[in-house]
Amino acid sequence: MSRRDERSFRVALVADRYLNPPPRGLDVIPILVEAEWGVIQLPADVYPREVAGPLLEQVAEQTEEFHRHGYDVVVIGRRTGLKEALADAGVPRLDQLEPVSAGALRAFLHGRPSPRAGKAPKRKARVTAKEA
Amino acid sequence: MPGVAFVAHCLLNQNAKTRGGARCPGIYSPLVDVLRRKGWRIEQMPCPELAFTGLNRFWAVREQYDTTAFRRHCQRLASAVVGAIELHVKAGRDVVIVGIEGSPSMGVCITSSDPGRAGLPEWPDGSEELVPGEGIYMEELRREIAARGIGNPRVIGITHQLPDHDTRTERTRLETFLAR
Repeated sequence: MSRRDERSFRVALVADRYLNPPPRGLDVIPILVEAEWGVIQLPADVYPREVAGPLLEQVAEQTEEFHRHGYDVVVIGRRTGLKEALADAGVPRLDQLEPVSAGALRAFLHGRPSPRAGKAPKRKARVTAKEA
Repeated sequence: MPGVAFVAHCLLNQNAKTRGGARCPGIYSPLVDVLRRKGWRIEQMPCPELAFTGLNRFWAVREQYDTTAFRRHCQRLASAVVGAIELHVKAGRDVVIVGIEGSPSMGVCITSSDPGRAGLPEWPDGSEELVPGEGIYMEELRREIAARGIGNPRVIGITHQLPDHDTRTERTRLETFLAR
């Protein structure tokens, strides 16, 4: 496949209340689009444990894959059970923001370091017969 | 609220795509813009391929994923998702499902197929792998929905990875679909 891949190597785990905000609530989607972040949605707070639990398990497994490959992964907002699900999947503590304003979220996202995964991989030097 | 759209993972996160497949940095705005403008609630489904074969997976066709192990994985995901669908259906909300045309797992009307594909991954770009059919996860999702007896949510596939994709045509198609 020769097409250019546009991914950002940046993924935000986002609380449902910021993706499907109530009237006058903080809407993070335009900010995430502008800052070029992908989203993993956290289950809605109103979901009972038997519904949210299996969804959080999936969130954690997918997060582990991104984290292990050097993508920048952060949490926006909070969700009961997330910390435990991430720990079960072997994901270390992630940077987190409870955004009080659009400006605070923009500053947080734009202040992140470059993702390790987005950097060009170093090629291993060829070992010549003489060196070997 | 008009309803709830359960969308394929990569429509909110193009980082989940197979390398070479991300059409934008993160959120696929053409879909999200339509859903939000029309007042639909968005629910993201897990990516069946990401957690199973990982970020470094090769482009694959349906036959390569059609194994007992992958179907069990899809059943586990479908069970989690249908738990949430069931809550919304029982609350009387309209539920739609948005897949990805051409995908071996998320295809709705078009999937990818090549019974002979195997071994060293060398095949010409644009090989004729797109065929009418449904992806494996979508099949398992429909089975789970039927097993729980929660109706028959409408399903549509986004065409952004098909060669003849046109954003304006797709937006119109999506708006018509949501208005039904």
